[in-house]
Amino acid sequence: MAGSILGHNSIQRRRRLELIVGLIVLAGLCLLPLVVKDVYTQNLIILTILYAGLAQAWNILGGYCGQVSLGHALYFGIGAYVSTMLYVKLGIPPTLGMFAGGLVGGLFALLVGWPCFRLSGHYYAIATVVVGEIGYLLFLNWDFIGGASGINIPFKHESLVELQFRVTKVPWLYLVIAYAGLAWIIAWIIEGSRWGYSWRAVKDDVTAARSLAVRVFPSKMAAAAISGCLTGIGGAIFAQFVGYIDPDSIMSGNLSILIALPAVLGGVGTLWGPLVGSALLIPLKELSSSYLGSSGSGLDLMIYGALIVLIALARPQGLISLLGLFRKPEGAR
Amino acid sequence: MTAELILQTLLSGLLMGLIYALVAAGLSLIFGLMDVVNFAHGELLMVAMFATLVLHNLLGLDPLLLLPIVAVLLFGVGMAIYRLLIARALSVTFNTGMVQIFVTFGLAIFIRGAAQFFFGGEFRSINNSWLANKTVALAGIYIPLPQLAASVVCLLAFALLLAISKTEFGRALEATREDREAVGLIGIDRDRIFAIGWGMGAAAVGVAGVMLANFYYISPQVGANFALIAYVTVALGGFGSLGGALIAGIVIGEVEALSALVLEPSLKQVGMFAIYLAVLMFRPRGLFGRL
Amino acid sequence: MSVSRIALGAFLLSLATPAFAADDIIIGAIYPLTGNGAQVGLDAKAAYEVEADIINGTHPKIPMLMGEGGGLKNLGGAHIKLVFADSQGDPQKARAEAERLITQEHVVAIVGSYTSATAATISQVTDRYEIPYMSADNSSPSLNQRGLKWFFRTSPHDEMFSAAMFGFFKDIGAKTGKPVKSVALFYEDSIFGTDSSNVQRKLAGAAGLTVAADIKYRANSPSLSSEAQRLKAADADVILPSSYTSDALSIVRSMNEIAYKPKAIVAQAAGFQESGFLTGAGPLAEGILSRSSFAGDAIKARPAIVPVQELFKAKQNKSLNDNTSREITALQILADAINRSGTGKPADIRTALIATDVKGIDTIMPWVGVKFDETGQNIEGTPVIQQVKDGTYVTVWPFDVATTDAVWMK
Repeated sequence: MAGSILGHNSIQRRRRLELIVGLIVLAGLCLLPLVVKDVYTQNLIILTILYAGLAQAWNILGGYCGQVSLGHALYFGIGAYVSTMLYVKLGIPPTLGMFAGGLVGGLFALLVGWPCFRLSGHYYAIATVVVGEIGYLLFLNWDFIGGASGINIPFKHESLVELQFRVTKVPWLYLVIAYAGLAWIIAWIIEGSRWGYSWRAVKDDVTAARSLAVRVFPSKMAAAAISGCLTGIGGAIFAQFVGYIDPDSIMSGNLSILIALPAVLGGVGTLWGPLVGSALLIPLKELSSSYLGSSGSGLDLMIYGALIVLIALARPQGLISLLGLFRKPEGAR
Repeated sequence: MTAELILQTLLSGLLMGLIYALVAAGLSLIFGLMDVVNFAHGELLMVAMFATLVLHNLLGLDPLLLLPIVAVLLFGVGMAIYRLLIARALSVTFNTGMVQIFVTFGLAIFIRGAAQFFFGGEFRSINNSWLANKTVALAGIYIPLPQLAASVVCLLAFALLLAISKTEFGRALEATREDREAVGLIGIDRDRIFAIGWGMGAAAVGVAGVMLANFYYISPQVGANFALIAYVTVALGGFGSLGGALIAGIVIGEVEALSALVLEPSLKQVGMFAIYLAVLMFRPRGLFGRL
Repeated sequence: MSVSRIALGAFLLSLATPAFAADDIIIGAIYPLTGNGAQVGLDAKAAYEVEADIINGTHPKIPMLMGEGGGLKNLGGAHIKLVFADSQGDPQKARAEAERLITQEHVVAIVGSYTSATAATISQVTDRYEIPYMSADNSSPSLNQRGLKWFFRTSPHDEMFSAAMFGFFKDIGAKTGKPVKSVALFYEDSIFGTDSSNVQRKLAGAAGLTVAADIKYRANSPSLSSEAQRLKAADADVILPSSYTSDALSIVRSMNEIAYKPKAIVAQAAGFQESGFLTGAGPLAEGILSRSSFAGDAIKARPAIVPVQELFKAKQNKSLNDNTSREITALQILADAINRSGTGKPADIRTALIATDVKGIDTIMPWVGVKFDETGQNIEGTPVIQQVKDGTYVTVWPFDVATTDAVWMK
């Protein structure tokens, strides 16, 4: 890229600015519980921020590295099951279990990535759908982990370590803020690291990247591991938040799409895209189904679908482009 | 396990496989032409099934007679989708691949919602057609007529698509596929070719929908039952290869039928997905995909 | 820190409710209103609306509990108001909607929810917020075994349903001299299918019957031909399917395609009881038996059926079935308990529910009655066995409520 020496300082300055904005957003989110008291709205905000974190996790592989995975529900589900099984069967609190879930999720992402990264374009996308579906079917038929009946996480007592809260949502809010913040800061670090540069190179032009001696395969694997690990942690949090998991609700193909969608609509390969995308998409989806879905007319689906089409066509670079402040590091393409 | 049981299973697998191939044909065609995977393919199938149902109830005509009407109808739907959405998605200079995936995905949700809006969630069936629930016995093997008819139509459709590829139009298609940018120079209207390609793809899935309506239930969700299998069929055969889709459809149908017979039937799809992944390991672009 | 705040919140919540109880009593209903279960949810919505109209409206007395109309007498004629929410069959969504109904709509109780997975999360929420959850149509036996204090279920569960099937086998075998010796289990890979088959496998073992085939199939498969062939190869005396409408249609068609006519099919209701199945399968449905909690033809024993049936038909253009009748009854029992509570407060409603003792004749159900055990399960909900004759279900067992003789293993 021409002019990289010239742009070095401005890039550093921009990155610092982004970090400051990130901290301001984080502080703002932390103040939310003081303003929002209504449980339903809190629930909505928790889901939105959780999806922002998940979409950021997806973004690391799908956005920065350009590997459009439509099977992330697999890592999400694995994280959820690992942490829940550890808790229900062995009594290991989910505050620890979620990291075990993330670890196994990351391992599986490597396991899937190893054969699938040889595939290109649509072959890769379809293969990830199929791998996700196989995972779903195997979990559905695996009696040890409850099979189709899923796992019910009984409420025993109020506990921060075990993430058990009777009605309050406030601790959840801080937990998902911490989660999304972690995903964001990892993405921020990646953007400025050598990995980040090589992933963008891989995405932009594989052949050119290869000639620049970027080791394509290992860099994809690294992206997969980080992405799968973060997604697994998100799944563990979600499981404990809902209190019940079954393959239908946490491993279906629809969920894979829902993890990717905020990043795609918000702006792939950007720091803020996933957050902006989920801030629009998740409330819209939840509110339309809450207030229009009760008629059962399908209107909520029509609005949701039409909105996806419109954003994708009108703002292919993502909603983030509406806010001119945040540019992609290498500038407009 | 008797020989009869195995023969019967092989036959059902073959018949079902040809239907999968027919469903996948349109998807394959569109992909081969313009490198677009239509994630609303299952919903087009559902639209065709509902169109068959409505026309059947309205006109009292047998689904077989409705074949050309629904095919033309879906041709129009396909062209409209191309002109309204896909052409725009292709003109995007940023993220083209992702934009087209999510545009067709959003379209799928929209169509499903619209079907729910107009038809409600009830499961419907056509059971007073000529072929409905009819079956013939041949040396101890039973051949269900609706599926047999669908298989014949499938083979005819593939023959027709093959014949089209030999015409001048087919050569224009082929040229567009080979080099999208250059065809403009030799006086081919690329946009028009693409629109017709989408029309043909949708018409093919329309034909599949009519034949399915003869023996399968109809609901707003029905497309999802076939969509994933269609993607796997196309990817296994090799994106853009019509012959590949035909062979892959049969392979998938047989694997499904046999694994349901010998494995736990709830895991039969794992069987066919595993075969697909195994093939991809050796041929990353499917059985007949151009490398 | 938060324990005291929660206690305070619950206290404020319980203070807040009577203010709304003064005029309308608000009850939440959570169902899948979009997606695969949408039709069942839409029918449920109609059923609840019909029952609410019966309770609230002015009309000639319908001979059943809460059938005189005019609202809740003990609450100054307060009306029942329903608020519906769409779960999309998703447990997370169901949970969030339950919280929304409780905190925003201030419902005093929730009814639901068709799928067992959504009932699992809704009833967790209602227990935490301490309002009753009335399960109208969730049939998973595990739901009332989780130590929940606010869970009530008028409907029988799968164990009771399956026990009725095996009771029927015994009786019909003795009566016709054609006993059941083997069964084939055929069930979808969901919580409903696996729960149902687990009970059936156990009961078959206890009754000394051979399980000739044990087939778990993939729900909504494009094809069930191989599965049909396995059933044909096993050729059990009775096939016991646990399927929703889509697969119920697929399997009877697939069996017909290979010219297999099972000696008997006794279904775990669900899809087999839906009108979409009866019209879709047409002649192929003839002779199929199904358990049911409802006996729509038992109009002599349950005189309220005729007027309620008329109201429902006028609204939804179809007859009451296994699900819609249970939904009507669930709301009826709940409304009666709210009326008896005298205050409309959740805690008093719960006390009234525990004291419920309703006779079958006061409902539209063929049950002995409604009486909850300590887990909240109605122990007097006695199912029936029905058979399709000329496109509709007629009751064939227990023999004392049967309206016609079963056609058995012809």
